[in-house]
Amino acid sequence: MAKEQVFFALADFLIPAHGKMPKFSDVCAYADVEKSLDFRIDLKEGFARAIATDPSTGAEAHLEKINKQDGEAFSAITTIAIATYYMNPRVRELIGYPGQENVQYDSKATQIYLTNGSLGHVIARGRKYRPTPGL
Amino acid sequence: MTVEILAQRNARPGRDEEVDVVIVGAGPSGSVAALHLARAGISVVVLEQGEWPDYDDYTGARPEHELVSTKLWHPNPNVRDSPNDYPVDTSTTDINPLMFAGVGGSATLYGAQWMHFLPSDFRVRSMDGVAEDWPFTYEDLLPYQLEIEREVGVSGLSGDPAFPPRGAYPFPALPMGSVGLRGALGMEKMGWHWWPGSNAIPSEKFGELNPCVRRGTCLTGCPEGAKSTTDRSHWPLALKAGARLITRARVKEVETNDQGLATGVVYIDANGRERRQRAKVVILCANGVGTPRLLLMSGGSRNPHGLANSSGMVGKRLMMHPFASVLASYEDPLDSWRGPFGQQVYSLEFYETDESRGFVRGSKWNCMPSGGPVGVSGATGSKVYVAEEGRFQDFWGANLHENVARRFGHSLIWGIVGEDLPEESNQVVLSKDLVDSDGLPAPQIVYKVNENSNRLLQFNIDRCLESVRAAGAIETLVSTPVRESGWHLIGTTVMGGDPKRSVVDQWGACHDVPNLYVMDASTFPTSGATNPTATIMAVALRNTHRMIAERRNQKVA
Ligand SMILES: Cc1cc2nc3c(=O)[nH]c(=O)nc-3n(C[C@H](O)[C@H](O)[C@H](O)COP(=O)(O)OP(=O)(O)OC[C@H]3O[C@@H](n4cnc5c(N)ncnc54)[C@H](O)[C@@H]3O)c2cc1C
Ligand code: SF4
Repeated sequence: MAKEQVFFALADFLIPAHGKMPKFSDVCAYADVEKSLDFRIDLKEGFARAIATDPSTGAEAHLEKINKQDGEAFSAITTIAIATYYMNPRVRELIGYPGQENVQYDSKATQIYLTNGSLGHVIARGRKYRPTPGL
Repeated sequence: MTVEILAQRNARPGRDEEVDVVIVGAGPSGSVAALHLARAGISVVVLEQGEWPDYDDYTGARPEHELVSTKLWHPNPNVRDSPNDYPVDTSTTDINPLMFAGVGGSATLYGAQWMHFLPSDFRVRSMDGVAEDWPFTYEDLLPYQLEIEREVGVSGLSGDPAFPPRGAYPFPALPMGSVGLRGALGMEKMGWHWWPGSNAIPSEKFGELNPCVRRGTCLTGCPEGAKSTTDRSHWPLALKAGARLITRARVKEVETNDQGLATGVVYIDANGRERRQRAKVVILCANGVGTPRLLLMSGGSRNPHGLANSSGMVGKRLMMHPFASVLASYEDPLDSWRGPFGQQVYSLEFYETDESRGFVRGSKWNCMPSGGPVGVSGATGSKVYVAEEGRFQDFWGANLHENVARRFGHSLIWGIVGEDLPEESNQVVLSKDLVDSDGLPAPQIVYKVNENSNRLLQFNIDRCLESVRAAGAIETLVSTPVRESGWHLIGTTVMGGDPKRSVVDQWGACHDVPNLYVMDASTFPTSGATNPTATIMAVALRNTHRMIAERRNQKVA
């Protein structure tokens, strides 16, 4: 099996289709995976080890094996799979994530806790600190 | 004039030039000292092993943020593995110390939660019969706290009944967001204390700081230049006042003469060359790990156990605030990727001692958004699930989608910071085999979470679960004590009046070496349970004002 195929087999086991969510290989190309690896060159070696052998026993057993025997490889392949998936614009749209967006606000607007009485209750419960003068 | 031009103009001192003061470390404490000394006309050089931040490197606004930040902006120097940091031997600690090297120091990655210590924090022995009182009081420090807040540009709401009355904050509190409101609702249902978060993030334009746009990536560097760090709040002013800052300068030793007075420091520059900076006074601001490390590396044959260490206390009493977190998910949307990250709400309900709980001292809680999908999935860093009882399948496959659907955008995190009691067995020593990129010994942390902390955390977790469930949580996840949580590094060159039991006096001057000072949290006799940077900067300011006032009486070599 080509390396790409090995990766997709593992990634689709980790991130299968479920409800409205697509499986990994339905939305991400291998070029996306390579781009992610370029952001995290520290993961390249572990990633390469994880896909070096064919998962002849099936994706789950293969992942089980690297999880037990080569934690670094497991961490590399899972980190790349999950990050690539949730960077995908279609996936972001499906889960309603615009990214770490910029939100304008009016710093002088009156906050709701000041008008609905909730902070008033905290104040009404009185002093909480222990005074120390003279100690 | 830009900071870059100013930084270049204030050139490195000449080979044999003796300056009035050399400071090690350009984090919050070193920056405060540098600004105020330079303004008083005192010649100052600051040596910092890290570099100036490049705001383009902060990935918060980019899609790859969650992927990149877990390496490049990880708070553990061993994970970042950058030559600017020193590594830390963590083989003998329950909690990993977290820090960052650069202009702005560890605050480059801080949550910017801005909290004063409370009055009882300064009187732990008198009130609760444990540890030691501080040599000064809450009231003594308050004027410096307020002065620092104006320099930092803190936003918050005054009137919190958990503190004695204090004036207004410089800026209005940041908007709370659905996360904060939901956190507050749980506290309200329980009849417990909560208050809108105070943060070192101005809600309006302030000097070099831009208004916060709630991007929510404060813990991995603020791409907007909104979070207050001293590269923006203090250094432009310090450079203007004539302070000189040398980056990529790693100090390896404080030098002393035959009379036992400090004469300056030896450092390794960006090209690997050893240099000497002579100074009348040396100030260490390298944090609760870096400062004792440097003292233990100094002293030569005259002081085989390290400099300023006749008490044997250098490195001892390390406190790191054992930390637990509770993630709670709700049915309705909370937009929980939006910032500010630091704290939207805090609670001091369980701050003070109540011995009926089975432990002394207490905790501070802070409510924060839970962040992006990768983080809330709980699936990455999967090595941790290699443990026998852990199955990776619990986090992957259909479970991944269901976990993300339940948590992402729908969850909040309460962080629980517990007061850490000082114990001499918890300490910083020099590693026997690990070295930094210049071949200097790395610090090794010997630290165990004690029984008081374990009981304290469990009590607070149980209360926290009551609160989040009262507000309708459909899922809760607890982590305790969190290993990657040593962001507060305290106590390793303790201050006190007795030179046999303490390293520095109440002004930060070493008992053994009167012209060598420590001005970071290493000097704190106890740790409180609030985030320490407000107190660190206020104590550094108090010490610096005193140094300026007493400059003519300062003993020098
Ligand atoms: C992830 C994270 C989140 C945090 N969140 C909060 C928060 O919300 N609120 C809060 O109050 N606090 C928080 N903190 C803690 C806060 O960052 C520290 O309390 C604060 O930065 C301490 O300031 P300092 O100047 O004493 O030390 P540091 O900021 O650690 O600065 C020390 C500097 O000294 C330099 N240095 C060390 N050794 C040498 C040497 N040998 N030669 C040259 N330079 C050296 C280092 O490179 C560093 O830049 C957080 C910390 C982390 C890591
Ligand atoms: S929430 Fe505000 S301070 Fe934090 S990263 Fe975003 S813009 Fe910066």
